[in-house]
Amino acid sequence: MFVPIALRQARRDRQLVSKRLLLTEDEEQREVTMDTASGQQDLVDLLCKVQHSGPERGTHLKALSKALRDPSEQLTFIKQENSVNLLVSLLTGSNAQCRLHAARCLHELSHSPHTNVAPACLPATPYLLTFLSGQSTKFTELCLYTLGNLFPDSDVVKDKLLAQGIIPALANCIENQKHNLAVVEAAAFSLTQLLQAKDAAEKIIPKVLASSLPSQLLSVLNPDPNFGLAPAIECAWCLHYLACSDGNGELLALGALSHCSSLLMSLGGAVAEGNKEEGMELLVCPLLRCVGNLVSCCPVDSLSTQVGDVRLVAALCAFIKAYLHTQPALARESAWVLNNLTAHSTDFCSALLTLNLVPGLIQLLPFSQGINTMILRVLANVTHKKKESCLQLAQLGLLSTLCATLKMADQEMVTLSLEILFMLVIGRPQVADEFVRLSGVSLLEAIQYNSEGEMRRRAAYLLEHHLLSHSADCTV
Amino acid sequence: MTASGNCPTGTTEERELPFSFTPQLFHLHKDHELFEDGDIHRHMYLQDLYVSGADDEPALSVSEFACHISGCSAVFSALEEYEHHYNSLHRHVCCSCRRSLPSARLLDIHIQEWHDSLFTVLAQRQDMYQCLVEGCGQKFRTSKHRKDHLIRIHKYPPDFRFDKTKKDRGTREAKRPQQKDTAMEVADDVCESEGVCEVMCDVLSEQRELGETMETLVEEEAARMTKPAATMEHTDLSAAFDGNGCTSSETFKTQYSYRVPTTVCFGHSSVRGFRGRRGRRK
Repeated sequence: MFVPIALRQARRDRQLVSKRLLLTEDEEQREVTMDTASGQQDLVDLLCKVQHSGPERGTHLKALSKALRDPSEQLTFIKQENSVNLLVSLLTGSNAQCRLHAARCLHELSHSPHTNVAPACLPATPYLLTFLSGQSTKFTELCLYTLGNLFPDSDVVKDKLLAQGIIPALANCIENQKHNLAVVEAAAFSLTQLLQAKDAAEKIIPKVLASSLPSQLLSVLNPDPNFGLAPAIECAWCLHYLACSDGNGELLALGALSHCSSLLMSLGGAVAEGNKEEGMELLVCPLLRCVGNLVSCCPVDSLSTQVGDVRLVAALCAFIKAYLHTQPALARESAWVLNNLTAHSTDFCSALLTLNLVPGLIQLLPFSQGINTMILRVLANVTHKKKESCLQLAQLGLLSTLCATLKMADQEMVTLSLEILFMLVIGRPQVADEFVRLSGVSLLEAIQYNSEGEMRRRAAYLLEHHLLSHSADCTV
Repeated sequence: MTASGNCPTGTTEERELPFSFTPQLFHLHKDHELFEDGDIHRHMYLQDLYVSGADDEPALSVSEFACHISGCSAVFSALEEYEHHYNSLHRHVCCSCRRSLPSARLLDIHIQEWHDSLFTVLAQRQDMYQCLVEGCGQKFRTSKHRKDHLIRIHKYPPDFRFDKTKKDRGTREAKRPQQKDTAMEVADDVCESEGVCEVMCDVLSEQRELGETMETLVEEEAARMTKPAATMEHTDLSAAFDGNGCTSSETFKTQYSYRVPTTVCFGHSSVRGFRGRRGRRK
């Protein structure tokens, strides 16, 4: 999958806006995108034809919507006087076909890469919102995606939509059309657009948390076997954006952590068995993030209860293993969640040991891009919490692996390795003997010549206080 | 991280404990860089451009290994390469003058000829300079004789790197890009090992007169030791050199103040200072 550099840069600049285009029925059936060039009529000309009512109106309107796929035509359109008002009047008129085509025109406009198009569409928004609780599925979907696309483009649009009650409208929509998964997907998508706004934390998220939306989202979270992953994906992303903010108390109270964890576990089970449904990672990703952030806000003593099942760690290890080479970022996010789970909880640390997941984690330490540092952190957490297991950890291969990680170029790896070594040696002095046997002393001696003081001090301390008395060959 | 009761020296040590690991929770905001890739995949999905499966992006890479020795910038992709590098270049190091020799035998000979006053005395009366070729066994009155022998009999090159005389020390090798197999022949600032003898003093004063410093080949510069003999301050080995060259007059900027305990020497068991000092601990 080719990712243009501009896309990455946009994300880094926090400018990534993801609009969604609903394909027309023709396009869906033929799986062909609209060809705007063929049979192209002059836009202004089309507009004129639409203005004049008559039996052909619907046809012209449909042609207009096709023309509006083109970004430059979008600009031309909004420059025409009263063009949007015309669409609005058709949107609210008595002809059902024309309403649909008018909605389609607005949808094409909403998808524009030009940010000045959205404000031009403002006259339509109160009606789009009104229509969320009625009409046909297709029509409601169009309205929802249109609103979601319009929202990020300008502050004027944002403020208007919020004032016009987009949040309660979305809440009602999902609640009333819960069983219509296409609509739920569309509404959840729109909500993701709201939740990504720069000032969402102050203006939007508190209102969303106060509404019925979070519980609605949770109830749709489990993928429908017939409909597929798409609605669950959108809901999961909403929950992720909510969990990123400070409103985790509400989410925890609703059992979001338990819900997301159990879903992750069943997905983990599927992944471990090799059943990787197409696009499953699109659902795994936001769920991981929800769990990761919710765990970080959850009081330690209720963590096990909130998560529900310590075997979540097994699912996380399965994700790491499955996605390590195909999507390393996802493996890294899984490792992050593991870190949060093991940081303060003895239960989860124990689970890693009893479920025999440690050797698998150790094998991941050669890999870079931040995966090994996070996993080494996890192992450090376990070593820290389970002092009685120091010998076991050493025997499972942690000690011999440290002999390799201590030689790595990544300073964080070396520092963490020294910390773990210290904890192991303190926990069980026999570990020191074994480390010496593995020729670890010369390794630490070499570190004493490292340019980083942090590393030198740790290495020297270990040598002085724990290792050199074991050395058979005393040096000068 | 609290110290356990295993520290033999008690509370003083606890206060000075350099270890600080505590488990940490990470709460990530939505724009965190850890989320970058996942966000991009989501974007592609929404644009109907998403393809499940392997990315075209660069594949997951293996973490690199790096030589710890400050000033040595060698980096390796495999552990064996690291081991080889370290064993070749950093193991047999003379504690007195920090020169790295490729084998224990050459190190022995070096120490004997450069740093042993007894050798100097004996060499005035008898053939003390050993042939460098193992098994040859011949000895010579002067290093020049030995060198001639090496060239004539053993077909060594005239500029064999490990047969430098003390006088040759004045020559600095030219700066070259760091290569892994380059032997480290560095006469860096001398570390003050325990005790000093006339030979060592000569070494020091000789070096200082020439204003010798070593150029490093990496961004990190090795420290120049300027403190008096009372403090045990180690300098770092600078990078390897190759071939013959001119004197470098670059001085160092950084100075390490890290103190290495006297009980520790570089290259476990294969580094020696003076003869006869092995086994003695401070």
